[in-house]
Amino acid sequence: MALSPIDSPKPVPAAAKALPAKAKALTILNASTSSPSNASTPSSEGPQDLSEQLNEQVRRNYVTGSRLGEGTYAIVYSGHLRHDPTSLVAIKKLKVNKDYLDGLAPDAFREVRALQELSHPNIIKLYAVFSTRDQNLNIVLEHLPRGDIEGLMQNKSVSYGPADVKAWANMLAKAVWFCHENSILHRDIKGNNLLIAADGEVKLADFGLARTFSDPYRPMTYNVITRFYRPPELLYGARYYGGAVDVWSMGCVIAELVLRHFFLVSNTDIEQIDAITDVFGSCTEDVWPGVSRLDHYIPPAKDNIKRPKPMIYWKQHFGMLGDDGIEYLKSMFVLDPRKRATARQVLDHPYWTNNPKPTPKELLPQAAGGVEKMAEDLKRRGGEIEEGDGRADKVARKLNFADLKR
Amino acid sequence: MRLTEDEIYRSSTQFRLWSFTPEALASLRATTNSTATQRVKAAVKRLRESRNQSETNSEAENGTSTPVIFNREPDCLTVEEEMKVVEAFCGRAIVLGNVLEFPSNVIATGVQYLRRFYLFNSPMTYEPKSIMLSAMFLANKIEDNKMECADYAARITGTTKEQVLAPEFLITQALRFTFDVRHPFRGLQGGHMEMLAIAQGKAAVLPYVEKTAAEFQQEMLELPTQPGGAATKITQRELEKRLNAATDKARDTLKSSAIQSDAYFLYTPSQIWLAAYLLADEVLALFYLSSKFPGTIDAETPTGIAKLKIVATVRACAVLLAPDPALQKLSAEEKEAKRLEEINEVKAIHVKLRHCRDPDKMDLVKLNKAQKRDAGVEGKLEESVAKRRKLEREKNEKEADEFWGPELPKNGKKA
Ligand SMILES: Nc1ncnc2c1ncn2[C@@H]1O[C@H](COP(=O)(O)OP(=O)(O)O)[C@@H](O)[C@H]1O
Ligand SMILES: [Mg+2]
Repeated sequence: MALSPIDSPKPVPAAAKALPAKAKALTILNASTSSPSNASTPSSEGPQDLSEQLNEQVRRNYVTGSRLGEGTYAIVYSGHLRHDPTSLVAIKKLKVNKDYLDGLAPDAFREVRALQELSHPNIIKLYAVFSTRDQNLNIVLEHLPRGDIEGLMQNKSVSYGPADVKAWANMLAKAVWFCHENSILHRDIKGNNLLIAADGEVKLADFGLARTFSDPYRPMTYNVITRFYRPPELLYGARYYGGAVDVWSMGCVIAELVLRHFFLVSNTDIEQIDAITDVFGSCTEDVWPGVSRLDHYIPPAKDNIKRPKPMIYWKQHFGMLGDDGIEYLKSMFVLDPRKRATARQVLDHPYWTNNPKPTPKELLPQAAGGVEKMAEDLKRRGGEIEEGDGRADKVARKLNFADLKR
Repeated sequence: MRLTEDEIYRSSTQFRLWSFTPEALASLRATTNSTATQRVKAAVKRLRESRNQSETNSEAENGTSTPVIFNREPDCLTVEEEMKVVEAFCGRAIVLGNVLEFPSNVIATGVQYLRRFYLFNSPMTYEPKSIMLSAMFLANKIEDNKMECADYAARITGTTKEQVLAPEFLITQALRFTFDVRHPFRGLQGGHMEMLAIAQGKAAVLPYVEKTAAEFQQEMLELPTQPGGAATKITQRELEKRLNAATDKARDTLKSSAIQSDAYFLYTPSQIWLAAYLLADEVLALFYLSSKFPGTIDAETPTGIAKLKIVATVRACAVLLAPDPALQKLSAEEKEAKRLEEINEVKAIHVKLRHCRDPDKMDLVKLNKAQKRDAGVEGKLEESVAKRRKLEREKNEKEADEFWGPELPKNGKKA
C-alpha cells in the first residue's frame, strides 16, 4: 500500500471544487441542487425529478449533426455545443440491440464507466453523458477528426519514418500505461480504435470492452480483443489474465505501423495461433510453464516444434526501429504473459530517449483528409461486425476478412 | 513511471462526485427531502382538484376505497425516516446478494448505488424495493458478473424481469452516469500481505524508515494484544494466526457496516479498511501505520502532524463502522427486543410512506413504458389520464401491502 491516507484528500463537496471542463457538465447536478424546482417542466407524467432536469440541461447543451462512423454497438455523430458551433464534439449513440434484452447494453456501461475514471492526453475525453426521451444513452466525446492509426498505416499516400512511428507508439504506450495504472484493461486495442486529434495527438478510444481488473480471483471472458491483436493466452482460453493482453495488442499495432500491413493475420482462432507461432515459435511448457493447463491448449506435434524467427528476420522487417526498437518490440511479444513486458516497463525502455527523437505531434504526417477520404474510411470500418447472439461472453469483435483484403 | 494511490483516487468519480463533508451530506439530504415533500404535496393537490372536477361524472367512490392521500395534506417523511428506510433496504440488499451468492464487490457496488440514488431522490418519490432490486441487477452488469435478467427475476418472489429493468434507466441517470465504485477490499488484502511479510521478516522497508526487516519482525512478535497492554512474545506461527484473524474480522466489517454506513461518502478506501482493521486489532493497525513512518518522529514536524492526522481520521471512521457500544452492553433478550423495536419502527415509517408516495412515480414499469412511448408520439398521451391514474392508484395500494413481503428466492439456494 502507498502512504495513501497521509495526503489523501479531505472530502470536499464536489460542487465546491474547481473541476476540469470534462466534469463540468456532470457537475451541474450538484450546482443546481439549491434551486431544483424552477427548472421543472411538467409533462404528461407530472414534473421531472432532479436527475431528469439536470439531464435535460446537459442534453440542451449539445446539437447533434452528421454521422461520423459506426461501430459495433453505437453510431457516432459529429456535434457541437449549442452556444458555440465552433466547439466540436463527437456524440456516440447506442444502437438498438435486438439481441440484448436485459436493459441498456453492457458495452455502453463499460465505456462510460472506464472513461469517467480516465483523464489523460492520450485517452479520448468524455465530456458528458445524457439520455434522450427514447431512453438512449448519448456519450459526448472529444472530436477526433483526423482518422485513425489503421487508416494511416494503410494509406500509401502518406509517407512516414522511424521518428514518426516512435511518436505514435509512445502516445499509444502512454495511454495503455495509464489505463493499467488505473486498473483498467482495454481489451480491444487496434489501429482502428486509435483516433487522431486535430493537433496530431493519438487517442485511445472505444472502451466498449474495457473492464477493471481489481479482483484477481474472478474469472473473465477470454473472448475479447479483435483476433489479429489477440494474445496467445486468450486464444488458449485463459480466464485469468492481466495487462499483458493489452501489451500484446500494442505490439501488434506498432509492428503494423512499421510493416504497413497487418502483422499477424488469419481467418480463424486456430489459425491465429499458427500465425503467432510461425513468428515466435511454438508454445511449449519450456518457454511458457503452465501453458498446457489452459483449456484450449493444443500441444504442437513432437516433430513440429517451431522455432522463433531469427534476428535476421527482425532486422529485415523491423530494421526501421533500430536494435533498441527491435528489442522493445519483441519484449511485448513474449509468449508467456508473465514474462511479457508490462506497460510500465515498455515506457521505461531506452528506445524512447535514444535517437531519433520522436517527432513532435504537430509535425507528424497526416492523411490528406477531405470528404472522399472519410467516405472511404466509413466503408472500411463497415468490416467490423459483431457476433450475432449478443451474449456477454461473446463480445470479441471480429474482422470481416473479405473486406480487409480489398 | 508510476501513479500513487492518491493520484489515482483523486481522479476517480468516487472522489470527484461522491465524496462529501458530513455537513454537505446532511444539507444534500435535507434538500432532497424538502424537494420531494413539495412535490408530493403539489401532486396530491393536483389530483384532489382533478378528482373534484371529475367527481360528478365518475363512478361513486365510497369513503373506504378512497385513498387517504386525497383527503388530507399528506404527512411526509422526515430526513431521518427516509434514511431509516434506505438503510433497511441496504440491509435487505446484502441479504439478497448473499443468498443469491453474488461476489462481495457486486453486493457492495449495488448497495452503494442504492445509497447514491437516495442522495438525490427520496423514497417518497421512488419506492426503495424496486430501486433496490434493479440496482442489484445493474451492479452485476457493471461488475461483469454474468447473469440473465430473467433468471435473476425468477429467483425473487413476486418480481418480473420487466420490474427489474424498469428503473434501470432512472438509476443510471441518478448515478450521474458514473458507475465505478472503489472498494476497500483490495486495499485490505494488500495490507494483509504486507503485514504477513513483516511477520516473516521479509518486509519491504521504506527507504526513509531506519529499521531492518528483522527489527520490524521482532517488534511485531512482541506487540501487546490490547492497546496499552504488556509486551508479549509469540511465535511467528501464532503471529500469522493473529494476522489472519484480524483480516477476517476486518473483512466482515467491510462487507457489512462499511457498506451500510456513510463511510464511502466520507472516507477514502484506505481509510475505510484501516478503520475496519483498527476495530479488529487496534495494536496491529497502529503498528502497521507506524511502519510507514520514520521510527522516531517529532509530533511538531509536518510528518508528525500528518501521522497524527491519519490516526485521527482512521479512528473517526472506525467510530462510524463500530457496532453501537450501547448495544454491546445489552443481554441477548434485550438485543432481540431492540431488534424487534427497530423493525417495528421501520414498519411504522413504511405505513407512513404509503400515504405520502408521489402519485406520479408509483408505477415504474408503466412510467418507463410511457416515457418510451412519449418519445415516439409526443403529445398522444392524453387518453383519459384520470382513469389511468385511478387504476394505477388501486394497483399501488395493493402492491404497497406487499411492500414488505419477501423478495428472497422462491426455490432454495440455487436456481
Ligand atoms: N471522437 C470521435 N471523433 C471522430 N470520429 C469518431 C469518434 N469516435 C468514434 N468515431 C468514429 O466512429 C467509429 C466507431 O467508433 P468506436 O468508438 O470504435 O465504436 P465501437 O465501440 O462501436 O466500435 C470509429 O471507428 C470512428 O470512425
Ligand atoms: Mg471500434
